[in-house]
Amino acid sequence: MSRPPVYRPSMRGWWQRHPAYRRYLLREGSSALLAAYALWLLAGLVSLAAGEAAYERWRELHGNPWVFGVHLAALLAALYHAVTWFRLLPLTLPALRWGGRRITDRTLVRGAWLTYVALSVGVWLYLLGGVR
Amino acid sequence: MSEPAKITLEVQRYHPEQDSGPRWQRYTVPYTAEMSVLEGLQYIKDHLDGSLTFRWSCRMAICGSCGCMIDGEPELACHVFLRDYAPGPVRVAALDHFPIQRDLVIDHSDFLEKLETVHSYLIPAEERTPADGTHRQTPQAMADYYDYAQCINCLLCYAACPQYGWHPDFAGPAALALLQRYNLDDRDGGHRLRERVIDAEQGVWGCTLVGYCSEVCPKGVDPARAINQNKAGSAARYLLGWWRPGRRRGEDRE
Ligand code: SF4
Ligand code: FES
Repeated sequence: MSRPPVYRPSMRGWWQRHPAYRRYLLREGSSALLAAYALWLLAGLVSLAAGEAAYERWRELHGNPWVFGVHLAALLAALYHAVTWFRLLPLTLPALRWGGRRITDRTLVRGAWLTYVALSVGVWLYLLGGVR
Repeated sequence: MSEPAKITLEVQRYHPEQDSGPRWQRYTVPYTAEMSVLEGLQYIKDHLDGSLTFRWSCRMAICGSCGCMIDGEPELACHVFLRDYAPGPVRVAALDHFPIQRDLVIDHSDFLEKLETVHSYLIPAEERTPADGTHRQTPQAMADYYDYAQCINCLLCYAACPQYGWHPDFAGPAALALLQRYNLDDRDGGHRLRERVIDAEQGVWGCTLVGYCSEVCPKGVDPARAINQNKAGSAARYLLGWWRPGRRRGEDRE
């Protein structure tokens, strides 16, 4: 006897089905702006290699309100992406113990943020020292 | 005595011998505060429409057979109450991402086949016989995998996984969580065998950490963690494989 046919649901409009899916898309989408910013920096580097005139032209572009707007959007996207990235970080680690006690996700996320801030401040100080 | 409160349930129906696709059917059901959605379905079957088909057994979130989509969320029908959806209409549909056999009954044979491939049983690290007695471990060692051992195979996590919806080859949350349950057991020696499942494209790399699976799990299993705990190790094995070409493509494995 043949089995009656099953109905196979489609994935059409999948992201409309739950806010968790839309949050996921936002998280992944924010990395597109980060990539765009990396390309922008790369363009700066290329123009620097091309000579002073090209580099100055690249710098002048920053006065354009559109370019400024995209930079602002990229900054917000970077912050959002960082928040989600750090929040997911504990999921990628094995259960860590300290003195027999399990280190909580919260401690891990805080530790990661602290390390990030410390490194950023370090880089800033180094750059400021270099300018002087 | 006053009339009992009523709630409307909109239930997904599919009878393959007459329907080309699912349709919705409305039922009005009297309910009391302690009635679960599953009891609402049972009321329909007993009093309104005997042709409604759904799975259930334990009625207490243990057997894992009553999973369905309730107002778009994967839930155990016995684990949520009608009162929280009153006056309705509350939509009850078959679990997302699975082929539907009839009404709320899905075909879960794909998951059962996957479960067979992940070696989710203890492979003792050292040879033992029953004469050696109980295979004991410390409470701390057990704590490492305890959460993953709570899985009841209800498949809510698969219904919450768009990657599984797109790529039914993906081993998926519960199968990989059960794999990790045995990998983390300090009495177990089956890592090598399970690495093949982990490192495959349909293994942990099928996951993009949407993370919704862990939110819907009624047992606190956290399959997203079980999967992503494996990515660093899997990436390291891949890179080492390039570095030591003789070890690539699993030549060193039996
Ligand atoms: S991991 Fe949770 S949601 Fe998935 S099958 Fe097991 S108990 Fe159900
Ligand atoms: S009937 Fe057993 S889990 Fe709901």
